[in-house]
Order: sequence, then C-alpha cells, then structure tokens
Amino acid sequence: MSLFRRLLAPSAVAHAHCDLPCGVYDPEQARIEAESCYRIVEKMAANSDPAFTTRAIAIKEQRADLVKHHLDVLWHDYFKPEHLATVPNLHDLFWNATKQVSKVKASSNLDDAKKLLALIDEVDAAWKATGGEGKTRVAGRPS
Amino acid sequence: MTGPRRVRGTRRRRGASGRLPGPWRVAVADGSMLPSVNPGDWLLIDPTTVHWPRRGAVVVFHEPGADLLAIKRVAGRPGDWVRFADAWLQLREDEAWLMGDATDEALAAAGHGTPIDSRRFGPVPIERLVGRAWFRYWPLRRTGRLPRPPKPRPAPS
Repeated sequence: MSLFRRLLAPSAVAHAHCDLPCGVYDPEQARIEAESCYRIVEKMAANSDPAFTTRAIAIKEQRADLVKHHLDVLWHDYFKPEHLATVPNLHDLFWNATKQVSKVKASSNLDDAKKLLALIDEVDAAWKATGGEGKTRVAGRPS
Repeated sequence: MTGPRRVRGTRRRRGASGRLPGPWRVAVADGSMLPSVNPGDWLLIDPTTVHWPRRGAVVVFHEPGADLLAIKRVAGRPGDWVRFADAWLQLREDEAWLMGDATDEALAAAGHGTPIDSRRFGPVPIERLVGRAWFRYWPLRRTGRLPRPPKPRPAPS
C-alpha cells in the first residue's frame, strides 16, 4: 500500500484556502498605539534636541501605522454588514478615524492626536454596541 | 475512462523544454472547495490547457500576488460580466473569475473565514493558469470525475 501510495503521490499541493480569523478583536489595541502617538507628541514639544526629535518622529510614524493597521483589521474583519443596522455611520467613522491617523502621522499637533483618541473611543463604542466585548475576547474584556 | 474532457478550441501547450508542463497530480489542502473537493483529495490535472475552461470547471493556478498553487472553480470566463463589490466588472479576454465552492455559512461553522478567491485577488490572467482538475483518484472510494458545482451557477450576464 505504501509503495502504491508513494508511486501515485501528487507532486504538488493545491490550496483551497480561506482566511483563518482568530476572532479576537478589541479597539484597545488601536487605542494603546494612538496613546503612544499622543505621548510622543507631548514629549517632542518638551524637548528641542534635534536628535531626539528625529527619533520621536520615526517612532510616532511607526505607531501611527500600527493604529491604522489595527483599525483596518476591525473594519475588515470584525464588523459585518449586519452591524450597520446598529451603527449606521460605521463606514464614515472608520474613514474619518483612518484619515485622522494619517494626520497624526504627519503633524506634531497635540489636538490632532487628541481627536484621534476621541475617534477610537467612538469605534470602541461601536464595538461594544455590537456585542464585541462579550464575543471577541477570550474571557471578556478585562476591566 | 478516456482522457480529460477537452474544451472546444483547446490546443496542446508545451513548455520551453518541449516537454509537457506539469504538475499532473496535485494534493488538495484546505476546505474552500467543500463539498465537491475535500482537503486530502488527490486530483489529476490537465496542465496542457491553453484557454480558460468552461464555467464550472475546477482549475489549479498560481494565486495572484502570492507564491502559492491554488484551486478554485471558474465562475466567469473572458468577456463575462461579474459582480464585484456592488458593481459589475467585465473580464478582459485573457481573464477568468475564480471562486471557492464552500458557502460562507459552512466555513464559519468550520471556524474559517471567507475563501480567498477572486473576491479577494480579482480577475486571474491566463498566464497564471496551471491546468484543469478533472479526476479524483484518491481516496479510492470517492474516485471519479469531479462533480459539477453544488448548485448551478447562473452565467454572469
């Protein structure tokens, strides 16, 4: 049997693959990176050393990219069309939030970072309104 | 059992070396083609097809944007209009629209997400076609021609 199988064994693997979502989503992930951006902007204002500023800008851009990534994952993977009934402005919200991330990435204005945090809190409210808190964390969201 | 069913207009294709290209046999991994093709199935491939086979045929191809051999079903052929993101899209003369069989509900029940098919990577150009899957030869109790799609797909109009 094994010889038979070895002779006939295919030479390649064809994948009929799908996404494998882990099903764990939480806007907190985006919030923490956005808070990093906020703090970095604060620290930049308090320090005029050009070497520090350069480093801070680089790190802020990295963090902002992470915010964008986490927001995108929520938008693409967690939220489903039926959630629009609960949160009718969902697409506008994500559009504004991700736009705001780009703004934070380019600016060193604390108000921009503050506005981003407020938008992420709105996303968080949408996530809670659609039952994300109970459904997507392994043992509920730690409080 | 005769050879693979030919599609009208199909010509034999030979690689640069003059030998017929391969692979001729593939093993299937993952479940986006359930219930017609199961993970673990061994299939015979006809790698000599030069045109996209008819709608409903199962094809093996190099997935666009990935270094991966994938298997899906032809849902739209060159010139067809296909529905994509709430709009219609006409396929160019070398493109096909390839879809997984499994329904989103069945996959969700099995803990998988949506199939990675043309809804994700868009139309597939003919250069990425490897061949048509036409026969299952393993497991032995399920050998035979590959079944038609679970429900007849209406021709995109």
